[in-house]
Amino acid sequence: MATRTTQREVQPSLVSAPVAGVASLLLPGLGQVLVRQWQRGLVLLGSIVTIVGLMAWRVHDLAHREPGPLAMLIKALQRRPFFIVPMLVGVLILWLWNAWDGYRQAQPERRGGAGIFALVIVLLFTLGWQIGEIDLYKLATELPDAWRPLSRVLWPWPAAVERETETIGAGADILVPCEDNPPPPPEEIPGQPYLVATPTCGELSSLDENNQIVPGTILTLTGRGFAPNTETQIWWVDPLGNEFVVRQGGEYVVFETDDQGAFELDLIMPYRLIPPSAAGRQTHRVEARQVSAVGKLKIGDPLVISISRMVETIFLGMMATFFGILFSIPVSFLAARNLMSSSRFTIAIYYLTRTILNIVRSIEPLIWAIIAVVVVGLGPFAGIIALTVHSIAALGKLYSEAIESIDPGPIEAVQATGATRLQTIMYAVVPQMIPPFVSFSIYRWDINVRMSTVIGLVGGGGIGFVLIQYIKLLNYQAAGIAVWFIAITVAILDYVSAEIRQRFV
Amino acid sequence: MLEIKNLTKVYDDGTVALRNVSFTVEDGEFLVIIGLSGSGKSTLLRCINRLIEPTEGQIVWDGMDITTADPAQLRQIRRQIGMIFQQFNLVKRSTVLTNVLSGRLGYVNPWISLLHRFPPEDMEMALRALERVGISDQAHKRADELSGGQQQRVGIARALMQQPRIILADEPVASLDPVLAHSILGHLEQLNQEEGITILCSLHYLDLVQRYATRVIGLRDGQIVYRGTREDIRRMADEEFKEIYGEEAVRVSVGPHEGGE
Ligand SMILES: Nc1ncnc2c1ncn2[C@@H]1O[C@H](COP(=O)(O)OP(=O)(O)O)[C@@H](O)[C@H]1O
Ligand SMILES: [Mg+2]
Repeated sequence: MATRTTQREVQPSLVSAPVAGVASLLLPGLGQVLVRQWQRGLVLLGSIVTIVGLMAWRVHDLAHREPGPLAMLIKALQRRPFFIVPMLVGVLILWLWNAWDGYRQAQPERRGGAGIFALVIVLLFTLGWQIGEIDLYKLATELPDAWRPLSRVLWPWPAAVERETETIGAGADILVPCEDNPPPPPEEIPGQPYLVATPTCGELSSLDENNQIVPGTILTLTGRGFAPNTETQIWWVDPLGNEFVVRQGGEYVVFETDDQGAFELDLIMPYRLIPPSAAGRQTHRVEARQVSAVGKLKIGDPLVISISRMVETIFLGMMATFFGILFSIPVSFLAARNLMSSSRFTIAIYYLTRTILNIVRSIEPLIWAIIAVVVVGLGPFAGIIALTVHSIAALGKLYSEAIESIDPGPIEAVQATGATRLQTIMYAVVPQMIPPFVSFSIYRWDINVRMSTVIGLVGGGGIGFVLIQYIKLLNYQAAGIAVWFIAITVAILDYVSAEIRQRFV
Repeated sequence: MLEIKNLTKVYDDGTVALRNVSFTVEDGEFLVIIGLSGSGKSTLLRCINRLIEPTEGQIVWDGMDITTADPAQLRQIRRQIGMIFQQFNLVKRSTVLTNVLSGRLGYVNPWISLLHRFPPEDMEMALRALERVGISDQAHKRADELSGGQQQRVGIARALMQQPRIILADEPVASLDPVLAHSILGHLEQLNQEEGITILCSLHYLDLVQRYATRVIGLRDGQIVYRGTREDIRRMADEEFKEIYGEEAVRVSVGPHEGGE
């Protein structure tokens, strides 16, 4: 043994090195504790217990249907080999390393670096990767698919305008089922589109016992008098008045008319589930329709809705800021130490106010909105309440700090001139309060408008409300318009508030 | 005549800042108060216009007891007592003119003044006051755009607006360099000699005390430990000064034309 004298007095180990090693092998960290490195030992024990525990939880998650732990491990290994194998190897190395560390710690030099803790951190991050379900492969493979909706969000402006459209078309009645005397073809009116179906009666497609489609009667549709070279759709109208575009082989029946505005095609009568009450003799109708873009350009619905909701949002933020300022002023006096330090009672109020403000402030406006929606129902009012509550807390704190940092010198000086209390406030207090007051209020308005764009997500009104609906309806262009409005408004607001604040500070 | 009788101030935390202080100031005096930092100079000056409430004792001015004045009377008294501060105590974001006009608040209609309106003669008076301290060209600047010396001149102009009979100056030059110190004290001396305004001023430097004081009192731990006439001060040596004043005393010399004899 080297008998190097160390500067620090080290208490001798309680056990010999091999014993320490074996102890750590049996219970991680035990050896280290026995050699009086109890901190190191406890950290190691805690780390290993944590890692093994988390690992067991993930294995259980991956294979909770399996009967025993071993079966679970095997199943998990099959499902996620790249996670389980390195983790098992890592934990094994960690365990052995910990035993070796116990052995080494028992040496007089007590060497043993931080390497073991680096391994602990690596294992924790591996677990974190799995727990977070991080999947770069998925990100890489699915990103291209997301490109279409994303591009619609990024450039939604085609949906901002619409053309007034006019639909022209013609139809023919189809009798189901066929009878002795089927209905005659419709009369042709010169100058109008005309459609004939032959035959004028038939059977709809149906499902057999095996849920296989049994094709219905094939109708030959002949049309003339339509707009030439124009996209045309075949629609089916059932006796209940339901209309739908006919699919054939999975595709919508859409085609272009020829130069004369005529066409001819075969159509298998579609599958329609008719309620029993409507069973029996039924008259369906087949129609050919053309949409001709003839109207003027007009502003699209998403744009109109986005604008009106954006206005609602800005005012929502404004009202919340207004009420927030209104209520936070008195509150801020109660929360200002220099005003409240005169007696025990006022100091108690000061602490109480401060505590309440801190609690209210720490709850996100989104949560307040959910609470407010419960109270007053969906809509902008709930958003106003939520933002007002949060603003009172946030502004109350800021204002009270502004009051606390007031310079008492000018107050003293104005008092010394023989001014009244009101004059003193007007001439010495107000001028000092205006810059922080304006600055904080504008800043809060900025925050409130920003927040009100998301508060709609939980039903608090404003543009977030329509945004979430558009997203749920997969109407990405409309959602894109809403997103654009949010971005534009926030950018303008940022600029304006920065400008105003600069003027006043 | 201002009589301070047995003045005692005990702060809420138990600090005894003034202990049984008595002295008399005749009209037209330039009384300098010397003493270490913490000896009670600021407390004494603020007790005179009751920015700080005295604990015991009386302050009698021309037979009127300031210590028992009701709020309305107190404002009447205060408006005749100008005050100048070490940190100038201007409202930094207001204009120089507004700061000067605020010296008039004890005279004007309190309600109208809330609208920041002053009679034309007060405006004129303010401009004259600024002219008198040599900064009339700065009237419309914000107070914090001015240098320290200029700000103290604004402080003097504000005090002048009160048409005061007494000016209390609490270390008016402690934040300024020596040359500016002479310029500011020169203004006060001029007011003292030309208008007969009584000056009570706390100062730190022996040179300045010797140059401007007509009478001196020395404070130590809230008690008067020295009373001297102009002649006593002129004859006073550094050692003596240090004795009253403690080891911190500094003698400064600021050029032959102004400093001492
Ligand atoms: N508001 C206060 N509360 C308690 N003690 C104070 C207060 N103001 C001053 N003091 C104390 O009173 C004593 C005199 O202070 P002050 O009058 O400011 O002295 P000076 O102006 O000579 O430096 C000091 O001990 C100081 O700490
Ligand atoms: Mg002082």
